[in-house]
Amino acid sequence: MLRKLLDWLERETGVISAWGRFWAQPLPQGVGWWHIFGALTLITLVILFLTGGALMFYYSPTPDQAYASVQYIEHYLPAGQFIRALHYWAARLIVLLVIIHIVRVFLWGAYKRPRQMIWVSGVLLLLVVIGFGLTGYALPWDQKAYWGTVVRLKIAEGIPLIGPSVAAFLRGGDTVGAVTLMRFFVLHVFVLPALVFLLTAWHVIQVRRLGVTPPGVQVTEEASVPHTQMLYPDHTARIAVGALILSVLLIGLSLRFPAPLEPRANPLDTAYKPHPDFYVLWMHELVNLFPPHLEFVGSFVLPTILLLLLLVVPFVERNPERQPRKRLKALSAGTLVLLAIVALNVKGMEALPQPERLSPLEQRGQQIFVELKCYSCHGINGGGGPVGPDLGLGGKRDPEMVRALLRNPSAHNAHTIMPAYQLPREQEDALVAYIVSIGPNSKMPPIPPTEPEKPASHFEENWFVNHKFEVRKDPGSCSDCHKPFFCQACHQNRRPSSHDAQWLKFHFGNAAERPEMCATCHSPDYCETCHKVMRHDTQWLRQHGAKLNELGDKMRWSGETMRQLCSHCHTPQSCQNCHGVPMPHPEGWDEKHAQVGHQNPALCQRCHNFQSDTCQTCHQMRPSSHTEDFRKEHPRRITDSGASCQVCHGRNACMDCHKVPMPHPPDFGESHAKLGQQRGWKGYTGVKKLQAAQCATCHDVKYCNQCHQP
Amino acid sequence: MEQQVTRRQWLAFLVKALGTVLAFAYGIPVLAMVIVPAFRKQKSPWIKVGEIKEFPAGEPKAVTLSYQRRDGWVIRTVRSTVYVVNGTDGSLKVLSNICTHASCAVRWEASKSAFYCPCHVAYFDADGKVIQGPPPRPLVQYPYKVEGGSLYVRLDNV
Repeated sequence: MLRKLLDWLERETGVISAWGRFWAQPLPQGVGWWHIFGALTLITLVILFLTGGALMFYYSPTPDQAYASVQYIEHYLPAGQFIRALHYWAARLIVLLVIIHIVRVFLWGAYKRPRQMIWVSGVLLLLVVIGFGLTGYALPWDQKAYWGTVVRLKIAEGIPLIGPSVAAFLRGGDTVGAVTLMRFFVLHVFVLPALVFLLTAWHVIQVRRLGVTPPGVQVTEEASVPHTQMLYPDHTARIAVGALILSVLLIGLSLRFPAPLEPRANPLDTAYKPHPDFYVLWMHELVNLFPPHLEFVGSFVLPTILLLLLLVVPFVERNPERQPRKRLKALSAGTLVLLAIVALNVKGMEALPQPERLSPLEQRGQQIFVELKCYSCHGINGGGGPVGPDLGLGGKRDPEMVRALLRNPSAHNAHTIMPAYQLPREQEDALVAYIVSIGPNSKMPPIPPTEPEKPASHFEENWFVNHKFEVRKDPGSCSDCHKPFFCQACHQNRRPSSHDAQWLKFHFGNAAERPEMCATCHSPDYCETCHKVMRHDTQWLRQHGAKLNELGDKMRWSGETMRQLCSHCHTPQSCQNCHGVPMPHPEGWDEKHAQVGHQNPALCQRCHNFQSDTCQTCHQMRPSSHTEDFRKEHPRRITDSGASCQVCHGRNACMDCHKVPMPHPPDFGESHAKLGQQRGWKGYTGVKKLQAAQCATCHDVKYCNQCHQP
Repeated sequence: MEQQVTRRQWLAFLVKALGTVLAFAYGIPVLAMVIVPAFRKQKSPWIKVGEIKEFPAGEPKAVTLSYQRRDGWVIRTVRSTVYVVNGTDGSLKVLSNICTHASCAVRWEASKSAFYCPCHVAYFDADGKVIQGPPPRPLVQYPYKVEGGSLYVRLDNV
């Protein structure tokens, strides 16, 4: 069945025999292991194409999504991390393979007549590979991607005449941003792949047409070399073994070292220092050799000269010899250039920051740094939040100073918003050791992705300054992720702008209408700190005096005492409105109060119980007004002066002695008999009893006889 | 000559074998990454509605939920309203507030003891069953769970 299908395909198109003819290429004697690097480069290119295609399924080339999509690839997809690492490492290996391939071709003299154009296409392919590297660099949109791209476009801009236009074309706008990212993406996945496809096809077809160069044979004597082996299977076996070794290396690297992903690009983070990749390091060093105004010589003129030299090598070097010892001039020139590049690269690598070497204690400190989320405010040479100072700057720190700062940041700066950290001794030691170890070459440790993830708004420019608007729009969305502590950490020393001097007066309205606003930053018991003693409900009316006396000067909120807090809403007059007397009682009140008490005893009674200690402390002595004949005199005194017994003796002052209502109510004449009946005294004996018990205090029997005739 | 052919056959086998191994080594992860996620069912998360004691028996109470929904690498904050119906008989229901007819938002009318949809004058009872109007189905009920005194809901078929 399959055979029939293939036969039909062959009849119709001829591809089967073409495929067979391609592999049945005879190769000259002497082609061996050194000749596999071209094929290995091609295999690596296929791997890059495959893995790049898989990554393209998930990558989104916009600044607000690029980083998130790369994180998604890294953390949520099966084999996502592996595929990205494969792409990353294959992209580095292909540069090495291309260089080895070029050096091999150069040493073997394989670029000579008639294969000059194969060499030219190879040099162009090298350029395209570098182009892939430069554009792919920007795509993850992490710090390295962003700042690397910014720096390179700046370098490109320095080239006279064409520089600004080239940079503007690549940037697509005034700043590196959405348009730039899309351009780099399109270059990386469309333009350059198309170029690489065309050039590779040209390269391979030409090799197929002209044959592989026989090693060590003069240009004119090629025809005499016997072709003792076939491309398949003799040479493909070597390629297959090479591919196996390459794959073991590639897969091993990918599994052991995942592709790095730095913190998300932050255009405001000027503390970040980008470092170039190894294969362009020599170019950066070259740029550094020149003073700033001549930078373009290193960045453009010399590399262009080098490129032109490479391109014209087969047309300039016309020596027909291929034996290395008969081409000393060309070889020494080539070696010189290669050595120069290697030397520059080595120099560049020395300038690269040494990777941090942390002691176990410092490593523990680094863990704590991540656990405590110090990075959300502080960067380490970039990468952190924009709030606190970057810890990579500022030179060597004193451990004791760091310790003191951690324990009490506001002792150092009264307006700091950094929260105090009271850590166990062991953790504190580790954290202090780590912070002290941070220098200009330290890097932000990898920050694990948190779930739920930060929404895109948190990466907006000025998010830190503008978050209040978002909070006001939908406070609930903050408290989905953040505990009130999170807000308090900063706001304990810096109240939100809404909480101004008038805030206390108006906060009740906000709290009643949108309680979720308060709940965003304040824990539920926060209101209670004030309101459990000062809630303006029915209980409050009864208790506010006592509470004020008890806590008025002790309890403080935001630096003010409770008494001062009352004055935010209430004028002193408002106390008097209810109390009728100045509150709290002014100086010299002791002298004045008798008058008020006599005039309107009810005023005093609103707060004071006359049996209470407050009155009794002074009034336990018999006042001078209560003369010897006071018992007899007091009805007249009361009637004459309007004084009230109740001021001192309480509300029931008359009843307590008289046991009947005093003065007698108007209908007492009719009802006084009932009084006796109510008390269970009946008949004549009852009248006698009542008279003895109650009436006789004031009235003698004659008084009764005025009405009751005996 | 005999030996030559054997050697070539062996090399051909080696090339094919290594080719197959490498194709699998690279192909499987690539295919896994592209294909597998498409068939992964994402279960919607449990979203906290509130403390169970906040919902008095008898009266349905509207709660606006705000939660994050993941769409690949895009995470959006979504809001939707549910009615918690704490029946007097102890039964609990979490109802969608979306009318099953034309997807308008229904609201609880305490005076009529019914959910009222203003678009086409439809009424649902407290259990979400249609009393009057064009809706073809009762209001959607969401699965819920009560854990540690808190009510959680899963907005499965939103």
